[in-house]
Amino acid sequence: MRRWFHDSIVWKMTLLVMGGTSAVFALVVTYNYTYSRNIILQEAEKSARNLTLSTARRIEQEFRAVEHAPAGLARFLEIEGCRDTKTLKKLIRSLVAENPEVFGSGIPFAPGAWKSDVQAFCPYYYRGKGGITYQQIASPTYNYFQQDYYYITKLLNAPVWTEPYYDEGGGNCLMVTYAVPLYRGGTDEGHREFRGAVTADVNLEWLSNLLKSIEVAKTGYCFIVSDAGVFVATPDEPLIMRESLFSLAEERHDPRLRAIGRSMIRRGSGFEDIGSALTEQGAFLAYARIPSTGWSLGGVFPKAELLAEITALHVRTMLLAAVGIILLLIVSVLVARSLARPLVRMAEATGKVAKGDLDIDLSDIHRTDEVGQLADGFTRMVEGLKQRDFIRDTFGRYLTKEVVRRLLESKDGLKLGGEAREITLMMSDLRGFTALTSHMAPEQVITFLNRYLASMVEILLDRMGVIDEIIGDGILAFFGAPDPLEDHAARAVACALKMQAAMEEINELNEADGLAHLEMGVAVHTGTVVVGNIGSERRSKYGAVGSDVNFTGRVESFTVGGQVLISEATYERVSNLVEIKNVIHVEMKGVPGKVTLYEVIGIGHPFNVRLPERDDTPRPLKESLLVRVDRLEQKVVGDSRLEASLTHASLTTAILLVRGEIAQWENLRLRVAAIEHEEDYGEIYAKVTAMEDKGDIHEAEVRFTSMSPQVYRLIRHAAGGP
Amino acid sequence: MRIPLMRCMALLFVLLPAIVALSPAMAQPPLKKASFLPQWIPQAQFAGYFVAKEKGFYRDAGIDLTLVKGGPGNDSFVTLAAGKVTFCTGWLSTAIEKRASGIPLVNLAQIMQRSALLLVATRKSGIRELEDLNDKTLGYWIGEFYVPLSVFLREHYLKVKVIPNYTSITMFTKHAVDAIGAMWYNEYHSILNSGYDPDELTVFRLGDLGVDFPEDGLYCMEATFRADPEMCAAFVQASLRGWLYAFDHREEALDIVMKHAEEANTGTNRAHQGWMLARMKDLILPGPDRASLGKLTPKDYITVGEALKSLYLVDRLPAYQEFYRGEK
Repeated sequence: MRRWFHDSIVWKMTLLVMGGTSAVFALVVTYNYTYSRNIILQEAEKSARNLTLSTARRIEQEFRAVEHAPAGLARFLEIEGCRDTKTLKKLIRSLVAENPEVFGSGIPFAPGAWKSDVQAFCPYYYRGKGGITYQQIASPTYNYFQQDYYYITKLLNAPVWTEPYYDEGGGNCLMVTYAVPLYRGGTDEGHREFRGAVTADVNLEWLSNLLKSIEVAKTGYCFIVSDAGVFVATPDEPLIMRESLFSLAEERHDPRLRAIGRSMIRRGSGFEDIGSALTEQGAFLAYARIPSTGWSLGGVFPKAELLAEITALHVRTMLLAAVGIILLLIVSVLVARSLARPLVRMAEATGKVAKGDLDIDLSDIHRTDEVGQLADGFTRMVEGLKQRDFIRDTFGRYLTKEVVRRLLESKDGLKLGGEAREITLMMSDLRGFTALTSHMAPEQVITFLNRYLASMVEILLDRMGVIDEIIGDGILAFFGAPDPLEDHAARAVACALKMQAAMEEINELNEADGLAHLEMGVAVHTGTVVVGNIGSERRSKYGAVGSDVNFTGRVESFTVGGQVLISEATYERVSNLVEIKNVIHVEMKGVPGKVTLYEVIGIGHPFNVRLPERDDTPRPLKESLLVRVDRLEQKVVGDSRLEASLTHASLTTAILLVRGEIAQWENLRLRVAAIEHEEDYGEIYAKVTAMEDKGDIHEAEVRFTSMSPQVYRLIRHAAGGP
Repeated sequence: MRIPLMRCMALLFVLLPAIVALSPAMAQPPLKKASFLPQWIPQAQFAGYFVAKEKGFYRDAGIDLTLVKGGPGNDSFVTLAAGKVTFCTGWLSTAIEKRASGIPLVNLAQIMQRSALLLVATRKSGIRELEDLNDKTLGYWIGEFYVPLSVFLREHYLKVKVIPNYTSITMFTKHAVDAIGAMWYNEYHSILNSGYDPDELTVFRLGDLGVDFPEDGLYCMEATFRADPEMCAAFVQASLRGWLYAFDHREEALDIVMKHAEEANTGTNRAHQGWMLARMKDLILPGPDRASLGKLTPKDYITVGEALKSLYLVDRLPAYQEFYRGEK
């Protein structure tokens, strides 16, 4: 989940948007709910309080009305007196008859208070089945003196509402009695004498009916408890007179209900959240006291109902919010996707680029916003990379990867300027190539050159040689810069040997293509030169400059085909590694004294290159070949023509008897007269490696640098080859 | 180690009649008919007997027992003396008084070991200490209940204006008296459940203040005992078994009590009966062990008897052995 979340911008955006929006929604909805709930609850409390107060007042009025009748009768009897049973009974009867709220009425007299010889007398009228019925209550089994309506009234010396009780005498109903003490001897408390009580019974059925008629929401209800918390009226009839709020609290282990009970019987009125104390679901209780009896009326208002509308509204709000959030989810997914899709495309493209694949097409991202700008920028960057790659690829043909890398990666890579560094230079050239090209078709030249250069460049780059310059068939390369190489001299020598060895293969291919046999000369020299980016800002190369570069060229000019010549400086660095075939001492233009050069034919571990043995010793030909000799000045065929005869030959060397002037190290062109007239131009290019004067005739040892295929075959044949 | 052994033995003893009765090897003797009258209306004060009857413990003991409904107007000792019932419950002090006055009843078991009498006042009335009761009105039942109160008032030199109470706690809740006599298991709980919290009340427990008279016991006429002491003992054991069962199976016992209360339409509630049953356990098994279960000690007998003598309610105390015929 975390990964998934962190890995996807779509989900990240969506979830953040959703989270934020949901939080705002929740906040608004909660606030709205709380606020409106409070308003509704305030209203509900007000109306609940009003309902219970007004109902309590109504019941109170009823009780007050009941109180008037016995109080009036007691007062009348105290003032007027009555000794006549008949009149007394009439008075009691009319009290019941005239007060519909009075169920029954009686006068329990104190012993001897009615007549001195009568111990117990209690005339009583009540609403029986057949109308108002008379009963004399006192009997041996019914001691009214112990009843609350008499006894408590007497004890308290004041009017009293009894506890509600089930009357089993006449009414067989739940009733409550109001009893007013009846005195003799005036109103003075000190002198008056308790004669009994005037009572009025109230059938509490009307109370239950009244409560039933009160609408307390749909499922709410009203109940009345006595001043001891006992249920007097409630829709839950089994509770009546059996249970109290306190017994329920005890039975249910609900201290809260007990507290509610105490509030109800002690306080005037109130409104409380009673939780599920009296209903299964939460409810509010509004209560009001009925002062006359000390009872309390409670109204139970189920919360769910009070809050039904607000809850419904809330549910609708939540649904709307949910729908809104879902829509928002869709929209934000779409938006996020439209944002992310090009980003994903670009991420993929970046991955491709990282792997080196620059074929990126982001042209379908048609956008002008930041994402579009990013895509444009990316595309431009890839274009730039492509160009750079092109440059690297192109350069890479002539430079080692290291140089290219260095140039590309280093900030200073392309800065002009250089440093003095000891490196080993290597110069190679095809002997007689320039002259040879004058007879060749341009395509042939290119084929020839490409074959040659491809092979040489590869060998060079493999050995970390840096190609400074390729001019035609000539290659100038160096080792030890830009990356310093400890063994630059040995590398250069090994590379030169390898290149030389590769010529054999090239020549085989050339022979097969009917091209001329070519020989290459390689010179290696070690010296301190300046290396760096040479040129202008517009065109520069990484190259080497210095007299040692020229010196290398000089050394090279002393090579003959198949030869690797190294300078003294190089030799000093590789002497223990190389195998020397020959040491030559030459005079060089601009260099005083003799210069010692070494012909290397092999190099040891770790390079292990050795040139194949070549039989250079010229052998006498059966018939000497007549050749015309052109002396080549600056590699161009000169005017003076000499005749000579080729008497001895190997594949590399020949002995030439010349009439005329030639000098050692001179380059010659020989034309075999026998095949001159034919299509083959029959040319040999060679260098004079030794001279011996025999009078007019000079005997010159020459090394072949190149020869036409036919001549090559001829010589090979003549020299005893196949 | 002693207590569990004692308990096991007591239990074994209690269960023995049942085991004997259930034993198929024994020939089933015919059930002996007997009747029993509790001294007051059906309530948890008599839970043990109702449970024993309901669970068939009396039948197990070989007794076909008839429960007679008690209540006002049916004085248990009067009914017993009249020969209308075989067994009844009643107060020790009353029973000694009756025996001394020549009614030959005998105590078969002293069920309640302690006094449940309390004097209760509201703290609001200013009554905090015993002396505060002086010159105050006290609602109190008339009759036999008066004996321990008289001893108590005398012991503590209190002058209290006693107002007869015929009406449970109404005179207290209507503030017609300053204090009221209450049974711990009954009226005291009624006061609590009329909305008074314990901390709003001052309670004097007579038992803790020197007058700890054991109350309910099981009685029969001496003739009955002489005629069939085995049945009397079996009745007692079945009753005690009923009590122990009731204490161990509160809800079941309350179901049985409530059934009897409903039948008698006493207008009580389960919470009240639950309280009463719990207090019964405190009064019947006050100590840590059950060794004293159902026994009347000579000490308690002498204490109550001497108190009666001091009040001139009896001239001569009957011999303990004559009066008490239960387990010693």
